[in-house]
Amino acid sequence: MKRLAEILLLSCMIMLLMGADSNSNDERFERLGSKIMCTCSCSQMLLKCNHVGCPNSDPMIRQLRALVGGGRDIVNGLASSSSDIAGLRPMSNDEDVLNWFRKTWGVTAVVEPGSRGLELWAWILPPLALTLGLFAVLFTMRNWRLRPAQAPASAKKLDPHLEALRDRARRETEL
Amino acid sequence: MLGSFCLLFALGLASYCLVVGIVAAVRKDSRGDRLAETGRRAGMASFVAITAAALALVWSALNNDFSLAYIYGHTNRALPTPYKLAALWSGQEGSLLFWSWLLASYGFVLRLRHKVDRKLVANTSMILAGIQVFFLILVNFVANPFGLMDRVAADGKGLNALLQYPEMVIHPPMLYLGYVGFSVPFAFALAALMMRYPGEKWIHITRRWTMVTWLFLTCGITLGAHWAYAVLGWGGYWGWDPVENASFFPWLTGTAFLHSVMMQEKRGMMKVWNVWLIFVTFMLSILGTLLTRAGLVSSVHAFAQSSIGSWFVTFLCIIFTVCLVTYIINRKHLVAENKLESLVSRESSFLFNNLVLLAVTFAILCGTLFPILSEAVRGYKINVGPPFFNKVTIPMGLFLVFLTGVGPLLAWGSTSFASLRRNFTIPAALSLLVAVGLIVVDMRPWSGATQLGTWWSGIGISQFYSWMAIVLGTLVFACVASEFIRGGRVLREKLNTNLAGAMYHLTRRNMRRYGGYIAHIGFAVVVIGLAGLAFNQEKEQEMGLGDRLRIGHYELIGQAYTQDDNANYRSEAAQLDVYKDGKWLAQMNPEVRVYKANEQPDHMVAIHHSALEDLYVIYAGKNPDNGHTIIKAFVNPLVSFVWIGVLILICGTGLALVPNAAPVRATVPATVAVPAMKEHGMNPLGASK
Repeated sequence: MKRLAEILLLSCMIMLLMGADSNSNDERFERLGSKIMCTCSCSQMLLKCNHVGCPNSDPMIRQLRALVGGGRDIVNGLASSSSDIAGLRPMSNDEDVLNWFRKTWGVTAVVEPGSRGLELWAWILPPLALTLGLFAVLFTMRNWRLRPAQAPASAKKLDPHLEALRDRARRETEL
Repeated sequence: MLGSFCLLFALGLASYCLVVGIVAAVRKDSRGDRLAETGRRAGMASFVAITAAALALVWSALNNDFSLAYIYGHTNRALPTPYKLAALWSGQEGSLLFWSWLLASYGFVLRLRHKVDRKLVANTSMILAGIQVFFLILVNFVANPFGLMDRVAADGKGLNALLQYPEMVIHPPMLYLGYVGFSVPFAFALAALMMRYPGEKWIHITRRWTMVTWLFLTCGITLGAHWAYAVLGWGGYWGWDPVENASFFPWLTGTAFLHSVMMQEKRGMMKVWNVWLIFVTFMLSILGTLLTRAGLVSSVHAFAQSSIGSWFVTFLCIIFTVCLVTYIINRKHLVAENKLESLVSRESSFLFNNLVLLAVTFAILCGTLFPILSEAVRGYKINVGPPFFNKVTIPMGLFLVFLTGVGPLLAWGSTSFASLRRNFTIPAALSLLVAVGLIVVDMRPWSGATQLGTWWSGIGISQFYSWMAIVLGTLVFACVASEFIRGGRVLREKLNTNLAGAMYHLTRRNMRRYGGYIAHIGFAVVVIGLAGLAFNQEKEQEMGLGDRLRIGHYELIGQAYTQDDNANYRSEAAQLDVYKDGKWLAQMNPEVRVYKANEQPDHMVAIHHSALEDLYVIYAGKNPDNGHTIIKAFVNPLVSFVWIGVLILICGTGLALVPNAAPVRATVPATVAVPAMKEHGMNPLGASK
């Protein structure tokens, strides 16, 4: 039973942690586009910005497409004629693309914390809290199991008839 | 004038209620009891005064009284009447008044029902009065909704365009009912701890309060999600916006509390945990109000921003200190009466459920407050958006779904392997079948994204999560269904009825347990709905007359493009004929409005709902180069599952609030009973008819 529970738990953890990301340029465009926020202060994700007449999202999307070397047309016919992508070459590393946006549009443009310094803590803290919590729960359980049970206050006054009925209820309901 | 006076009067009454409450708690004699009674009455009177103030503000809005700065800033003459009512909570000052009024209403009901337990209610009333005093200080001296203009304007600035939507008239009140409602179980918990109140009575008293509050918060969050879906026009319903997150914090910890109190009720365990859980839930409600109203973090919901943040931070510090000191003084009172017998038990499932809910809360809190932290440390804000929240919370959420399924199958105390195997085999087999079935229909957990390639995969969530969500959702459904069927079978024989009838009686006998199970089914349906995000499709295109946009099974053909102008707004709209698999389906009219009072644009999204998917069309604007209309279309699968799931969740929780029916006694068969009665000279009921 214990072994089975361990195997089940382990399989669940492994399955939860797996999952692959695709690397085609279109999907890279979507993936990176959803890590960048429109900087016109509309507080919307770059690819979701529906701000009428937005001055920032169109050039940002064109630049992302140029840096990724692919991606769908958000607004037809504008990509090739624009000057704000002049000199931009596709980058193979996602982090480089995000850093380019941080440098060009400000650090607030990218909405996924980086993997260095203070930003790394944003990634570390939640799983760390969960792990510590897990240990705390297991420790508490161990303590509970080791501690002698306290007799219920009403134990001495239990009516034998009532106790028989309780036993029957437990048997029938498995509670 | 009247409003300002009422607010000052209410502050006086609430302060009196607080002070005499403290004196009565210290004195503990008959004179103290009499003082407490006067405090109770003062608390009730403060409700009348705050109601009068709120009505005065509504009256001013309805009568276009632009001498009040608040009315000038949030309404205008052309604003429809329901939105003028909504002006009460659309701005900083009004919403704080609304908070005070809701708190006063809860307090009024509580004080009216003081006979439940006079002493406990008196102390609870004192704590509620303390919270009330804080909000009344704010509305009297910091953010007064009755502030006057230097010069009376002819017309107001109008209501925020995004708020001019029917759901917005009920979404904030629901959310606030949830936020404010947690004050009551918090006050009960604190009062019980201060008094070293014996037993679990405070939990029995507050159970319904907590559930109703949780229900309001659930409704509020869902209405907000639906509003975001129908109004914000970005194609989704949850964007991990800081204000959305703020409403989620107390919901998550409140959910944990609703589960863990069962351990205290049934086993006398987790007393410290429960007390702190409700303390934290209330503090998170205050934090939610702070984030919504103080503009600490940038948000699409930041309708009212000001510098009241420091007041809320101070208040939070005071609450935390009071809770901590009370706990330290009275902690010996919170000793558990039982021990955990087995790791495989209902108790341990509750522990893990609480752990995961708290870990999710912490993760979201980290992400939400990270911009503030980074600004404090580095001097600039580092934004945290959906990619972070999805990556961190979805694995934990899936584990929670797993526990939702397995938990009800475990018995209190300890569960034997035989019992586990008996209860778990069919649900596990069914979910395995669904898992294989999904792979057969080309939904492979090991592929990163479908051919339909979407933002879902783009933001770091592989199709695996979607597959897993459906499988685990099925597991929850199967586990709950098996519980109903097993219980129904036992009762069917005893009551001599059919399975459906037996399941009905089963539910009526233990509304709390089976209502909870129905709520779990609702949760599973929501999870399956969320899994649909993996298959979202999106397309944007310029469209002229007769142009076609193809997306999924749908084809949209531009029929007309119109413009309109009325007193409240200017608008541009598209008329699109929609065909599905070549057959005419509907006409859709996406529109964009620009409200004249504040020149704010607002999308009126056109949505065609069906059971399995939504076609969602936005009028995105015009290409400035050629003047062509830009249409954005989405196909969003399983969205209706989310709304239906929440409805089931609400129904389940509602059922859990209904008192149990008395057990149905098995009837004696007439063939035996009637001759026996005749033998004793009696007539069976109805025999004479």
